[in-house]
Amino acid sequence: MKKIVILGGGFSGLATANHLIRKIKRTEAKVILIEPKEYNVYEPDLLVWVFKDKPFSSLTKPILKILDPRVTWIKSEATKIIQNENKIHLKNGENIIYDYLILATGARMAEEKIEAICADNVCHFYTPEGAIHLKEALKNFQGGTIVITPTTVPYKCPPAPIEFTFLLDKYLRKRELRDKSKIKFLYPLSRAFTMEKPAEEIEKLFQKREIEFTSFFNFETVDVKNNKVISLEGEEIEYDGLVFVPPHEGQDIIKESGLGDREGWIKTDRYTMKHTEYSNIYAIGDATNLPVSKSGAVAHFSSKILVKNLVAEIKGKEPKARYKGLTICFILVSFHKSMLLHFSYDFPPKRYGLHSSFLYGFFKKIFKIAYFQALIKGYL
Amino acid sequence: MSDYDIAIEVDARGSFCPGPMMELIKAIRQAEVGEFLSLLSSDEGTRKDVPAWIDKAKHELVEIINEDGYDKYIVKKLH
Repeated sequence: MKKIVILGGGFSGLATANHLIRKIKRTEAKVILIEPKEYNVYEPDLLVWVFKDKPFSSLTKPILKILDPRVTWIKSEATKIIQNENKIHLKNGENIIYDYLILATGARMAEEKIEAICADNVCHFYTPEGAIHLKEALKNFQGGTIVITPTTVPYKCPPAPIEFTFLLDKYLRKRELRDKSKIKFLYPLSRAFTMEKPAEEIEKLFQKREIEFTSFFNFETVDVKNNKVISLEGEEIEYDGLVFVPPHEGQDIIKESGLGDREGWIKTDRYTMKHTEYSNIYAIGDATNLPVSKSGAVAHFSSKILVKNLVAEIKGKEPKARYKGLTICFILVSFHKSMLLHFSYDFPPKRYGLHSSFLYGFFKKIFKIAYFQALIKGYL
Repeated sequence: MSDYDIAIEVDARGSFCPGPMMELIKAIRQAEVGEFLSLLSSDEGTRKDVPAWIDKAKHELVEIINEDGYDKYIVKKLH
């Protein structure tokens, strides 16, 4: 019987474990998940939650209620991967031997790389701690300039800072603070989003809502004493509040094992989801170096391919399934409306989805139900 | 075509916009002032984005060399 170890119990690790366990017979393989945390957080809603009066518990669910009981869950942290011996060391002292390893280790928020960690008027919504701080800072905001900027690429969910910007505009209008406030959105490219057509729509909306956009702003540093954010291109922009996307990297365990690139993203074949150098290692989710968004949708679609290939291998067949970069993305433009994007490695976003709509806003709202009830359980 | 003493070469062929430009920006951060860098890109969007960014960032786009199936951008870091 083969032993399959999944490292990481975020969305991609849990969804892959749940899907995989239903596709193989108990006599064929044992599936083990290694994850120290007790809860899964619905990350897509963190940026909405900061504007709402809801408890943090509305975004979480115990892993025990999500994970298929046939999967063996080890509540510990991996400290070392020795891929040449198919072995993982755990913090609890255990050593785990695997036949196949699935790396679902996610992205690390490398906040130490910039001089601003969440403090007073500077913060982000990429971790629960950050979102809790930001929520409080927004409550206390009484007017001024709020600047929103990514610090590096890639980062999770490319439209997230844009969505935050649109929601912030609505939030300040509701609190009658918009006349006393400026919103500035800074982005490293010549346009406000990676893809040309959606960027055009986003910039039109920015103009309509009086959101100032600065292109080619590649974050260099922040001067927290003088409330200034400074770019590689030499621009300095003052703020009263700064909302940044923290630098993202692969996990240290990936860097130390040599399974990743310079930034720790796992070297993953973009079609098969296998590691490019180790044939019994697969990778999934934000931890990979796939040339597509780091998003739940990518993890969802590519997880299907990973499972197909791994099941084929276990049955002694050739792994032939290919992930073609398919992803779907809803961009919130207000609390009730979204734009829909749909694209893959070879096809840019289709035009039909580029208008904002209540229907897509509704989908985005009910998505949390689908996330916990179906997607993470591997049913869809 | 001239010969340059290239300090960092970034091969971004096969990568789509904004990949090549972001790779160039990473390399610029690593390079020393006065050094030459080369960026290889097969993406058409790079032809528009890279010259515009270099102009804004006040570096020098020394030359664009059309090779078979890709372009080679020679960039000098000025500050």
